[in-house]
Amino acid sequence: MTTHQDPATALPAADPGEIEHAATGRTGAGPWHLAARRLRRNRVALPFGALFLLLVAIALLAPAFGESVAKTGPNTNHLSDTITVRGQERNVVELDGVPIGPQYLAAKGRYMLGADGNGRDVMVRLLYGARNSLFIGLTASLITTVLAVTVGLLAGYYRGPVDAVISRTLDSLWAFPPVLIGVALGVSLALGGLDLGLFQVRGNSLWIPTLIIGVVSVVYLARPIRGQVLSLREKEFVEAARAHGASDLQIMTRELLPNLVSTVLTFLPVLVANAILLEAALSFLGAGVQPPDPSWGTMLANGVNLLITSPHLTIAPGAMLVLTVLSLNVFGDGVRDALDPRSRVKIGT
Amino acid sequence: MGSSPLKRFTAAAVTLGAGLAIAACGGGEDSAEEDAAAGQEATTGASAGGKAMVNYTSFPDYLDPALSYTQEGWNTLSTVYTPLVTFRRAEGAEGAELVPALVQEMPEVSEDGKTYSMTLRERLEYSDGKPVKASDFERSLQRALILQSGGSSFYFDIEGAEEYFEGGKAKGDIRGITADDETGEITIKLKTPNGAFPYILSMPFASVVPGDTPFENQTKNPPPGVGPYRFQNVRQGRGYELVRNENFPEIEGLPEPKLDRIEVEIKKNQRRQVQDVIQNKVDWIVDPPPADQLREVKAEYSDRYEEYVTNSTYYYFMNHRVAPFDNPEVRKAVNYAIDKRALARLFGGLLEPGCNFLPPGMQGYEKIDPCPYGDPNEAPQVDKARQMIKDAGVAGDEVFVYGNGEDPSRPTTEYLADVLNQIGFEAKPRIIEASVYFQTVGNQKTNAQIGFANWFQDFPHPQNFMFLVDPASIQNTNNPNLGNVEDPEIRKALKEASQQPIEEAANRYAEVDRQLIAEAHVAPYGHRKLTNFVSERVDFENCTVTHPVYDLDLTQLCVTE
Repeated sequence: MTTHQDPATALPAADPGEIEHAATGRTGAGPWHLAARRLRRNRVALPFGALFLLLVAIALLAPAFGESVAKTGPNTNHLSDTITVRGQERNVVELDGVPIGPQYLAAKGRYMLGADGNGRDVMVRLLYGARNSLFIGLTASLITTVLAVTVGLLAGYYRGPVDAVISRTLDSLWAFPPVLIGVALGVSLALGGLDLGLFQVRGNSLWIPTLIIGVVSVVYLARPIRGQVLSLREKEFVEAARAHGASDLQIMTRELLPNLVSTVLTFLPVLVANAILLEAALSFLGAGVQPPDPSWGTMLANGVNLLITSPHLTIAPGAMLVLTVLSLNVFGDGVRDALDPRSRVKIGT
Repeated sequence: MGSSPLKRFTAAAVTLGAGLAIAACGGGEDSAEEDAAAGQEATTGASAGGKAMVNYTSFPDYLDPALSYTQEGWNTLSTVYTPLVTFRRAEGAEGAELVPALVQEMPEVSEDGKTYSMTLRERLEYSDGKPVKASDFERSLQRALILQSGGSSFYFDIEGAEEYFEGGKAKGDIRGITADDETGEITIKLKTPNGAFPYILSMPFASVVPGDTPFENQTKNPPPGVGPYRFQNVRQGRGYELVRNENFPEIEGLPEPKLDRIEVEIKKNQRRQVQDVIQNKVDWIVDPPPADQLREVKAEYSDRYEEYVTNSTYYYFMNHRVAPFDNPEVRKAVNYAIDKRALARLFGGLLEPGCNFLPPGMQGYEKIDPCPYGDPNEAPQVDKARQMIKDAGVAGDEVFVYGNGEDPSRPTTEYLADVLNQIGFEAKPRIIEASVYFQTVGNQKTNAQIGFANWFQDFPHPQNFMFLVDPASIQNTNNPNLGNVEDPEIRKALKEASQQPIEEAANRYAEVDRQLIAEAHVAPYGHRKLTNFVSERVDFENCTVTHPVYDLDLTQLCVTE
């Protein structure tokens, strides 16, 4: 038996969408369908969602761009190389260490956004950096979600000592700034990696910052999940399941978990955005993605010393970071509005 | 004798930015004569006295000669304290020449090279007017040892010094030092002959301070010294003033200071420092201009900007005990593949590409020409290196390149990883927090294969570089010989050279230098340049004396009012 108490199903009678829906005589539109319809009609969120998908697509094309257009890899140094720009030969990096600026299309696709201090193509690193940043952001958010839902469910459902232990642990985690914990863990794991018996991660692996971010962000989702479970466990449908002899595990997985989906979906874009930002911060501080692998954070850090002569080194990754986080946040707002029964987004025409 | 590895750490972090920029006035009636005696050009157009403003990026580690072990510290302390012997205040090779400072003549060395005898100058006074006593020297050295100074181990060659250090009791005695306050005679007995000992005596750790100076860090209230200046208004972390010491005696090679007062201000923002020099608010800055301001400074203020090569070496160590660098052919391949022109760019042009391990300003330096791996200013032989790696059967091997997160270590480490990938390895950089980097790679358990290393001199004697590749230096922890170079011929040559005066040993050190490169024990790629950038007030032609040990000589700085 599964009984969903999704917020989207509890539309008040005064909801214009519901009224209009009833008036058209259409039947069978479930809560997810309604939410999807609301989202489709959100003319702000959808373009930003599309922008995010575009960024993902661009990131996926990084190897093709590197090989076919820029003709270099993300970590290949070209310190003493020269390129031909409009018939003129130019150093990729000048003798005083200043790299070439953006060439856009003047160098046949090479150094479109200039070079960095090591003579690496910024455009190629930006795209590969997008892969790394997005991989970490998305994967870390999934880890956060799995962990947060698990501990939130356990704490909220069992209450008592289990709740006390979990909640105090989360409180402790909450007390430390995530960047501080991230730096501490990142620096200490960067050398020796992580060895948990069967599960081993090398120090320079992307999984190190991914796991760190995934774990330190748990508190942000676990708390609201726990609160919601505390409320849900008192509902009639849970009582009914219990009366039918369902075990605790069955109640948690079949009754409570489905009702948490909308909450998770609301939080997910924000979690991804925060994870990307945290990854950038950690990488900027040298505790995230390890050199020479690019990420927007490491690219920002590398560009700071050449801010005046080579602003492209910070502007390009900074702009990507802003666009990605902005697109996720605006799209996340749209998702939240779509799932919110009190949403002011109209469903009808 | 073993040098403490601390200088590598501090100098790597601090000296990179060390330079000097001061503004002052100078040139009294006697200044021309004194300058001539010191090998300086006479000051012209500069007035005597005056005040200059200097900016450091960070406060010196200590304002206590027993403890300070950074370039900023030595830059300042060399103007306030004077050891028994010191360096002539001049540029280039002349500045590396030792002269008797607080003693009448250079120490007399016994035939077996173990006993140094000297006599204190008469009527010497500290800046507070108290007389200098011969016994103050032993007390000053005792302070350094009891305070566990980073330079302590330099003095372990003195009989009883190591025992005194380990005993940790201030009231003890260093039995190898005898001093007679009546006659001013000082005798130092060594356990073994050490050709570099006069240089060790010239280090700031051996500066003479009053015998009643507390055995505590005196940074807040530095003790008086026998230097051209004395401290005034020390504000820890923020700055201090150097005021002319009226009791400074006439010493050949150490001309009187030109400025009456030098204000040292700590300013964290380097860009601001540069702007202040441009606007003549500050007369000299210790650190080179940041990379993105360097081009503007060089282009628009070339009449008051200069670069100079320091006695330093940047190199990659290759661990002889760990594959694949236990194979000499692999080490040679790395040397063939490194593009020193490229590395110079990573230093913003502030690197003199080179093939030697010894820096150009060092005694015993003989330029290795032709360099067996190609001209440092020409393209590397990557194809040849790739073939050598293939022939050695190590292509595809995994290699971790060690470096720390600070410039220029990080970019040079990333560069080397890329080069190793180009010649057939599967290389990845392994970046370690800078504050623990050398401890980490200097620990045998780390098994660091290859990585970034550098060294700035403590004193201008080749022994101070060669201990980095001396098999006798190998230790399990804090190992200064990062590559575990274990060549017995090098050990034998260094042992013999260490017991001779530098004049006799210089050729031997040059031979060791050649052998190091021929056998590819290390992969040196250049020598760091630092800069002097001064305000328009400074008489740039005549008053910026770049000393090979102390960088810009603050005592020679002068300004035109």
